[in-house]
Amino acid sequence: MPNNCTVLLPTSLKFCPPIVSLDCRCQVFSNLQFPLNLNFRLGRGSRNQRVSQPKAGFWDSIRSGILKNNTTQVIEPPSTTEEEEEPLPEEFVLVERTLADDTVEQIIFSSGENVDVYDLQALCDKVGWPRRPLTKLAAALRNSYMVATLHSIKKSTGEVGNDQKKLIGMARATSDHAFNATIWDVLVDPSYQGQGLGKALIEKLIRALLQRDIGNISLFADSKVVEFYQNLGFEPDPEGIKGMFWYPKY
Amino acid sequence: MLLHNQISIALRTPLIPIKPTLKHHSKNTAVFAQQRNAPPPATNFSISDESLSSRGFTIHRTIDNLDVDHLNTVFVAVGFPRRDTGKIRLALEHTDALLWVEYEKTKRPVAFARATGDGVFNSIIWDVVVDPSFQGIGLGKAVMERLITALLQKGITNIVLYSEPRVLGFYRPMGFVADPDGIRGMVYSRKQKKKK
Repeated sequence: MPNNCTVLLPTSLKFCPPIVSLDCRCQVFSNLQFPLNLNFRLGRGSRNQRVSQPKAGFWDSIRSGILKNNTTQVIEPPSTTEEEEEPLPEEFVLVERTLADDTVEQIIFSSGENVDVYDLQALCDKVGWPRRPLTKLAAALRNSYMVATLHSIKKSTGEVGNDQKKLIGMARATSDHAFNATIWDVLVDPSYQGQGLGKALIEKLIRALLQRDIGNISLFADSKVVEFYQNLGFEPDPEGIKGMFWYPKY
Repeated sequence: MLLHNQISIALRTPLIPIKPTLKHHSKNTAVFAQQRNAPPPATNFSISDESLSSRGFTIHRTIDNLDVDHLNTVFVAVGFPRRDTGKIRLALEHTDALLWVEYEKTKRPVAFARATGDGVFNSIIWDVVVDPSFQGIGLGKAVMERLITALLQKGITNIVLYSEPRVLGFYRPMGFVADPDGIRGMVYSRKQKKKK
């Protein structure tokens, strides 16, 4: 399986990745490894030309962490308040690493990408979510205020044009465009869990929302992931305010 | 398929008091009527449209003729912070469904609720308000019942909201459950960000 790259734990890490086991609301990440059905969408061109140039300084620290002939996993540091004021590019490289077979893998964050609904369904299958009608999935994405994605791009060592791009994470938010945003459907490919990617996904989504002046960001968390979101800055039942569901099916 | 969803939802809806089985047939046909954006039959609600109308209240389902400044006054009267009316208007334009009650005598909004969401799976209800001078007569319930019905008609089955502790008792009889299965509502706070 092409995706079965071994990501070696780095010998020296700049930043400790948080231990995250993502069981997000309404969803149970199973440990089942579904046979990978990789739909490579190469229609956008050989390389991802839309990756914007990261800001100097902060990103230099990431690039400097990439050593030749070394499988170093670099996770960007938790964002500081200064960074929150910098406009977040719509798409950028979150992680870049060299795999055991010497191919380079990039994890790309994007908040403006059109998600292929088939890719999304494949990802939902991988984490074990019940199937939802594709037309409804497409409509939900269309009607979401922001859809943040993580894609893995494996650069081909050989000819140009053989990069493999795969959707490995997603989170979306609905909003009234003015005051409130609610985050739904947070998922990360089980093969990529435990690396801090879910955390990064939510952090970037939050930052993008805050930059659009949406002041109230909320979500509903399964009991198992309440702590995960607490560590990202979410507070359960603030001031005693309770989330309520109308005739829940549980 | 949409039809099928709507029927199954209507049949399992325990919230809106369904009159004895005689009405079931008309309820089914009412579902079809509802698909054409007609208001649901009055028999389904605690207080019918006619009853409201006879007391001088009119139901509105769009922002047409809604004075946002007057609405803002109601928000402030119930304790919301005063928000920019331009932003309120923007929020209203990006809303899945909304409902407001107009008092004919003053031509002003006295009750309001709106819902946002993705239009297919999830919907969150915000800004449920009743002017303090008009509280206690069933307007809040009237607005909520109709809003929920409108959302169900769209096929949305996950309807949620955030409730202040003092009004949990208002939502519970309507069928809302707090923290079902341990699910917690969480809100992002810039002030508190714990880092491991």
